[in-house]
Amino acid sequence: MRSVYVAGIGITTFGRLEYPLAEIAAYPAMMAMKDAGLTDVEQVYVANMGGGRINHQTGLASAVVDTLSLTPAGAEVIENGPASGASALKQGVLAVGSGMYDVVLVTGAERMREVNNLDATDFIATLTHPLSEYVYGVTLPAHAAMFTRLYMAKYGVTERHLAMVAVKNQNQAMANEFAHLQQNITIEGILDSPEAMTNNPYVAEPLRFFDCCPVSDGGACLMLVSEDAMAGVDRPWVRLAGVGQATDSHAVAERADPTELTAVRLAAERSFAMAGCGPADVDVAELHDAFTILEIAESEEAGFFGKGEGHLALEQGETALGGSLPINVSGGLKGRGHPVGATGIAQAHEIVTQLRHEAGARQVDDAAIGFTCNFGGFGNNVVCLTFVRER
Amino acid sequence: MTVERRIYAYRCRSCGTAHYPFRMRCRGCGNLEFFEFDAEPLPTAGTLLTFTHVHNLPAEYEVERLGLGVVELEGGMRVTGQIDIDRPELGMPVSGSVEVVRHEPYEDYWGLVFREG
Amino acid sequence: MSVDLEKTLRPIDADLPPYPAKWVTLASGDEMVIRQVGRDDVSTLLAHVEPLIHVERDYYDIVAARVYAELLAYHVHRVQDEYVLVAQIDGELAAVVNGRQVRPGLGMSLHTLALRRGLRIGAHAFAAKMEYHMDILGHDEVLVVAESPIGFRRWMIEYQLEERFDTPHELGGVPSYALTRELFERARSKLVVGRRPVPAELLAKAQEAILPPTDPPTPPADLLAATRARYDTTGTALMLQRRIQEQGVHDA
Repeated sequence: MRSVYVAGIGITTFGRLEYPLAEIAAYPAMMAMKDAGLTDVEQVYVANMGGGRINHQTGLASAVVDTLSLTPAGAEVIENGPASGASALKQGVLAVGSGMYDVVLVTGAERMREVNNLDATDFIATLTHPLSEYVYGVTLPAHAAMFTRLYMAKYGVTERHLAMVAVKNQNQAMANEFAHLQQNITIEGILDSPEAMTNNPYVAEPLRFFDCCPVSDGGACLMLVSEDAMAGVDRPWVRLAGVGQATDSHAVAERADPTELTAVRLAAERSFAMAGCGPADVDVAELHDAFTILEIAESEEAGFFGKGEGHLALEQGETALGGSLPINVSGGLKGRGHPVGATGIAQAHEIVTQLRHEAGARQVDDAAIGFTCNFGGFGNNVVCLTFVRER
Repeated sequence: MTVERRIYAYRCRSCGTAHYPFRMRCRGCGNLEFFEFDAEPLPTAGTLLTFTHVHNLPAEYEVERLGLGVVELEGGMRVTGQIDIDRPELGMPVSGSVEVVRHEPYEDYWGLVFREG
Repeated sequence: MSVDLEKTLRPIDADLPPYPAKWVTLASGDEMVIRQVGRDDVSTLLAHVEPLIHVERDYYDIVAARVYAELLAYHVHRVQDEYVLVAQIDGELAAVVNGRQVRPGLGMSLHTLALRRGLRIGAHAFAAKMEYHMDILGHDEVLVVAESPIGFRRWMIEYQLEERFDTPHELGGVPSYALTRELFERARSKLVVGRRPVPAELLAKAQEAILPPTDPPTPPADLLAATRARYDTTGTALMLQRRIQEQGVHDA
């Protein structure tokens, strides 16, 4: 397979965007084309999960390719739940790597704040198994909460560890001008003060309000190109070197060990194998912290820390900016926000920014290898990506 | 006539692997015959593996909080269900009954609700 | 205006005990003071509330418009037994809540308006209001309605408020729900938070001036952006509106 490079990147601010969904997808694509200085796009992939259900728009890719005046380029929507973004990047890698296309835009967009948050919760809950989960009122926070309870019992993770992730990521988002949450929080305020239960109530016990990512609108885009096309681009050479994906049982209860996220482990292994490196080589990682517990668990399953030791690394500050492996310096889903279709691409956007050494106040020194984990369903469908700076 | 409501597992006729929820192809032997499953009622007694009380619920639920849990049933199958237990504990013995678990304007959905004991 | 006619138009307020100020630590670590304000403060509040009337999202427009009217009515003595509580962070207005006593023993919650997002300030302010009705005014019930799905989830569902569908609420529209003393006691740990007395310096800062919020919810580029975007997937109308607003011309 041919090497695939990131020629251009673009992102919207995350938060509430009162623009049509197609514009939210097209805006970062414009930025990516400007960034790369390339417009001869042959194919557009649009990552989106809820356009049909939330925004009453289907066939989004056709709208986006036309909004960008890129017709008659090929265009498809890629829907893979909250992992749609990384899945679309995977399709981009296949398209360029196979030799079919030289210049591909992979843009992701979601506009979830068009509906109230009860509706948004229900929209995400439609990911769960319809007959054995959804009918019971199972939501994604419920899955994460039941997982957290087992993790606490087995490994000694406490609410304080979860709060530490929340504070780290939400405060890190202050250094990211694109992030949804621009509000510092403190352990005192969300856990220790007499008012903490009102500040930070349970969403699904033992997970609290500040353990969950916000509901966001947003878009992000990467332009993926072949080596030949990259030769004409005056930007640092960042290669999308590894793509790994794995699936797991749809009904979460069926899994043999309920404290393992097998699909994360396999997807990470496959991504590293394709890139020809390992977890120890990674300088900066963006993990799918839709819930604080997931950052801890994914950091273990991806191989950065031993099983059950992720919270210890957190305690030591190893996952903070300046630590041995900074995780979610962009703010993560927790701080940057989680427009589901765009998230996987936003993670990649951050890693490319880091590997280009253009991340400003949140730059990880000398970052050369970066990793993303985009987590679909409750670990039903996970896509991990590995990026390498070449020159 | 009252119909006894049950939740069924699906046992593969060729290898005996039981499935819940239903899947078209057996996870045990992977045979490609359609409908090679026998439906058998899930056991209702089991152990509570994990649980939560959810506070932010879909709009249909007009309750303060909803108990949910994963239960390992006798025989080893694991299912998600609602729990109606004030102070649940990991490993607690529970027994389930089939009740309305979700109520929508024109439809009731039935499923397992577990209580202590 | 004849003095006698004003006497007819102006309700006679009961002598309600004041709400004792309290303070809470927010998720951000900021310290927020919740205190009662009087008629003299209304003009300042109106200036801070007015911009939110133009924020067409999350029901800010309707709630702000109604709060504005209720504050005005309070100021000119056209509502009986109304009270207004404010929440302030470093002097800045973070929330306005109000309500009134219908008759001894019965309270009515009017509105909860948060001017700063993301720190559950509305939840604190609503709780303070319920605390005032129950613990200070000695009401047995408080009538409550919600104007947004979030309000409904937060108040009616979370506290399991009882239906009082035979009792109209003064805000009109949907029937009333009620927070009863029993429900209040059950939710006491969530509704009665905060500490007293407020440290002198903190209280002095709050009383010195009610400052405008530095980061209030702002209106979208187009006042009907949310609605328009729903029906105009190409965004043409939206972009045209934006240009009209930016350039102030209609033939842009």
